[in-house]
Amino acid sequence: MSEKMKVIDVSKCTGCRGCQLACKQWNQLPAKQTKNVGTYQNPPELQPNTWTLVRFQEIKKDDGSVKWTFRKEGCMHCTDAACVKVCPSGALHHTEFGTVGIAQEKCIGCKECMSACPFEVPRYDSEKNKVSKCDLCFSRVAENLPPACVKACPTGALSFGDKADMLPKAQKRVAQLGGDASLYGDGFVGGTHVAYVLQEKPEVYVKLPRNPQVPLSVIIWKDLLKPVALLGAGAVVGGALLHYLIHGPKRPVEITEDGKKEGGN
Amino acid sequence: MKKEMIQATSAYERFIHWLLALSCLLLCLTGVGMMYHSLNVIGVVMGGLQGIKSVHNVTGVIFLVALLLAIQMWWKEAGIFVFPEDWEWTKAAGGYLWHVDKVPEVGKYNPGQKMFFLTVALCGLGMVATGLAMWFPFYFPMEIVRWMYPLHVLGFAVIFAFFFVHLYLGTIGSPGSLPAMLNGWVTRAWLRTQHPKWLKEMEETGSLVIRDDD
Repeated sequence: MSEKMKVIDVSKCTGCRGCQLACKQWNQLPAKQTKNVGTYQNPPELQPNTWTLVRFQEIKKDDGSVKWTFRKEGCMHCTDAACVKVCPSGALHHTEFGTVGIAQEKCIGCKECMSACPFEVPRYDSEKNKVSKCDLCFSRVAENLPPACVKACPTGALSFGDKADMLPKAQKRVAQLGGDASLYGDGFVGGTHVAYVLQEKPEVYVKLPRNPQVPLSVIIWKDLLKPVALLGAGAVVGGALLHYLIHGPKRPVEITEDGKKEGGN
Repeated sequence: MKKEMIQATSAYERFIHWLLALSCLLLCLTGVGMMYHSLNVIGVVMGGLQGIKSVHNVTGVIFLVALLLAIQMWWKEAGIFVFPEDWEWTKAAGGYLWHVDKVPEVGKYNPGQKMFFLTVALCGLGMVATGLAMWFPFYFPMEIVRWMYPLHVLGFAVIFAFFFVHLYLGTIGSPGSLPAMLNGWVTRAWLRTQHPKWLKEMEETGSLVIRDDD
């Protein structure tokens, strides 16, 4: 199967939140009471029952005018996915489309993925003791259908297809927009399977990491300490056995009745 | 010939030792069962990975209790180095690892045991601290939680290395030692060889508990 990619063209988004709703509908994620925090953005953050949301943000331009931007947030489906690297149960996994799937029945609620993800995407559901996140509608993509969010998008801000086709299209759109526009997603974590066409500079957007990467702690933990711990344990066990074979134990020194010493080493 | 047996440990000491040892061992087992995919099979008897995680967490609490009691019981005897004699003993590795003509005499705990005690005490507390942050990550900043995992693995590597040396020198590497932690009785020859100063101290203070076996 070919690698797939979703492109989010921020310049075309009108903040209708059709994607947010379609996601809930297809994935059967019930709405829950949320809190008004003074913006149209609702809920304020991703939740176990909200795998994608539109961030509403007002940007002050240099000429004093205010621009309203909308950025759909969700799992970026990294190639070097830190969540997959740390998941002890194999619940988080790479799919045949290059996306990151989650087998909920395998999840043990350890939350290791939550601190590993550079985008802070996985969310913990305390009622189910499971973590959940967007799986880029694997059940739809496997049937050759676009993800629910893409299907619902009325403005063409969301598009989906083979990564090989989507990347040049996204780059073309960036060139078309010109100015501060850029492509976000292909330059880090081995390339993501969700990319943004950003109209403003990346640092303008809130909660969008400038240089997302697999955390150093995860690399030290999984690539260094994990094998070293095993080697160290093996060395100690082997060393002790070798010591027994080569040098032998330290025996107590017996003193016999005539005062002679026996044993020891 | 009559064999003179001397009591080396109390029942309380042995109980705390084994509570600590068995909980530590179970933690190692369930820990590696989660860390290495190929060892996930350890979880089968606990109902899979979910079970392993529960056992690991609950055992961690038992380990903490045992560790605190062990520290309270042993820190004065095993937590303080006495120089220069402990240094002399360390240079000779107590005659355990290679041949030494005259091993510097030590008391109830030799510097190797003291090092093991301090490692278990400090790394053990570190394992509890990092483990709690991993168990309840929402109470700590994410940047901190991220580093708890590699530290937890590092702590495991250190504790396991010391544990295995301890296991070796407590069993086949030093015959006669194991009974000290099983029924508490050791031979006079063992005591004179491994902890001569302690034997003298007990003889001088009259605290020697002796039993004659046929």
